[in-house]
Amino acid sequence: MDTDADPSSLLGEAPIVRLDGVWKTYEQRQRSERLAGLIRGLFKPEIKRIDALRGVSLAIRRGEIVAYAGPNGAGKSTTVKLCSGLLAPTRGSVRVMGFDPVKERVRFVARIGVVFGQRTELWWDQPVAASFDWKRVVWDIPTERYERMRAFVQDLLGLDEFFQTAPRELSLGQRMRADLGLALLHEPEILFLDEPTLGLDVLAKRNILRCIKDLNRERQLTVMVTSHDMAELEQLAGRIVMIHKGSIAYDGDFARLRREFAAKRVLTIETPIGEPAPTLVGAELVSSDAGRHEYVFDGAQVQIAALLDQAATQARIVDVETHQLPIDDVIADVYERWLKEGHELAREPIPEQAKPAG
Amino acid sequence: MLVTMRRLFRLWFFYGGLDIKWMLRDIGSFAIYAFSDVVNVVAAITAMLLISERFDGVGPWSQTQITFLLGYAVMVNGALDTVFGYNIAFISRRIGRGQLDHILVQPQPMWLTLVTEGFSPCAGLPIFLPGLGLLGWATVQLGIQVTPVWLTFLLFNFLGSCLIVFAVSYVVGSLAFWAPRAAEEINSSSWRLISELRTFPLEGVAPLLLGGLLTAVPIGFVAWYPSRTLLGLEPVAAAAFVTPLVSLVFGAIGLWVFRRGLAHYAHTGSQRYLSYGHRR
Repeated sequence: MDTDADPSSLLGEAPIVRLDGVWKTYEQRQRSERLAGLIRGLFKPEIKRIDALRGVSLAIRRGEIVAYAGPNGAGKSTTVKLCSGLLAPTRGSVRVMGFDPVKERVRFVARIGVVFGQRTELWWDQPVAASFDWKRVVWDIPTERYERMRAFVQDLLGLDEFFQTAPRELSLGQRMRADLGLALLHEPEILFLDEPTLGLDVLAKRNILRCIKDLNRERQLTVMVTSHDMAELEQLAGRIVMIHKGSIAYDGDFARLRREFAAKRVLTIETPIGEPAPTLVGAELVSSDAGRHEYVFDGAQVQIAALLDQAATQARIVDVETHQLPIDDVIADVYERWLKEGHELAREPIPEQAKPAG
Repeated sequence: MLVTMRRLFRLWFFYGGLDIKWMLRDIGSFAIYAFSDVVNVVAAITAMLLISERFDGVGPWSQTQITFLLGYAVMVNGALDTVFGYNIAFISRRIGRGQLDHILVQPQPMWLTLVTEGFSPCAGLPIFLPGLGLLGWATVQLGIQVTPVWLTFLLFNFLGSCLIVFAVSYVVGSLAFWAPRAAEEINSSSWRLISELRTFPLEGVAPLLLGGLLTAVPIGFVAWYPSRTLLGLEPVAAAAFVTPLVSLVFGAIGLWVFRRGLAHYAHTGSQRYLSYGHRR
């Protein structure tokens, strides 16, 4: 699998990231509650196999921002780990910039950037500046490039105000900006971001998203970003890949996704306790408990006012709430719907991989 | 080779500088840290010193020879703390806490990271220097002729002892690849075992037990056996080669087990992550 060819020759329409039929299976040892089972488990443990990814095929082109969404446990982080060389697939192939991320780790990681939202690469008790210096030495970044990129990220991410402060004294948002800056110092060709805005407040989140967009626009940086926050991903990416139970449930642009699936809304009508739930034409009653009746309806087809008119004729309305369907529900809905209909997944064709010469 | 050596020294220089900056930035914390380390060293050797004082030596060892042994043992401890800080020596913590990923995203061979990232002279020297002092004092008191040959033997035995402790740490610590939660702190136990037993002269120990203490749990090579050879207590001069040669065997075993663990890790990854202790 090793190649001596220069993977930078993979330009144009050729995908920079390519996953072909990737399966990732984890093994979990099952523990019995009974003594006999515990003893039996010592000699013959019961192993449960969990498919975190089930035949995932995906291609990302240079300069794209791809949002990788899905509920917790869907396989998002596993995919990022596979793409960044931290995990090997159980089956299938992963190529990034022509490299096998695990077998060619050293040369490969020199050209990518990875940020895990819940982890930091910064030295905790040293100022941010020391971590930047550390990156320069370990990544062996030439002085000219280092000076240029440091000035660039300091300006882009507004790091000056806390550049000489230790990360332990920074807010989560500041730390995240510093981590992002650190990941960019060696000018990676692709950036993998795993939940980069987890735990951030609205302002910090907006700043991070703006920076990622700027980087993509100005430097043609390819970005693969995971999140379970659909609104956030929509701000950032033109393309969204939705994963559910280890399979890709949707791969396409956001506009179509919104149009086709996320137009569903939830309407909650509160009536005095004991009154039956109103029957609404165009809305499906999904739960009714202690006077709170929850409906799901298609916001593109049905007017809220029409539903409220219907409800008002059948019950005394105490309160009304409406909101978009949570992303987890949307994904589950999409997946189940396609599964039931035997629908081919809505996918763009994966282009043929350019083969390195030699 | 030359490029690798240059890189090795560059990284040591950088990490050493980082350690000094940390010390200078927070001198109060450093003083407390260093003081507690010295107390730790004193506590570790006091029992054996008192026994030696009370019985005018231990077995065939005179008090001064015991001081030499203790100095050697403390030096080994100090050297490992100096070069393999930040949980590089306690590798089970890094593996068990999912922190190995931080090493894997660095564009250099893993061994280079492992031998450089933990270099912390300010943190380790407060242990190493008292050991060197004890060993030097005992050497003078015993009237040992410090020749280049003797110094070479001292150096190689010392490096051998360090490698043996480090290798044992990796053999045991690699269990965390298979049982990250259960074995996260296993290096604390292995380290404690070595720390508590390394200062005992092993003469008179039953042959079977002695065999175990030189193979399965090679406590005897941490200080006792190399001290015997350096003090001329071994009848055969070739004994001075034993610890360095044995260290190569343990090094090979440690490397083999760790690499197997890494291969396993590539397929399982880490399902947990704790930031505790990482780069702090």
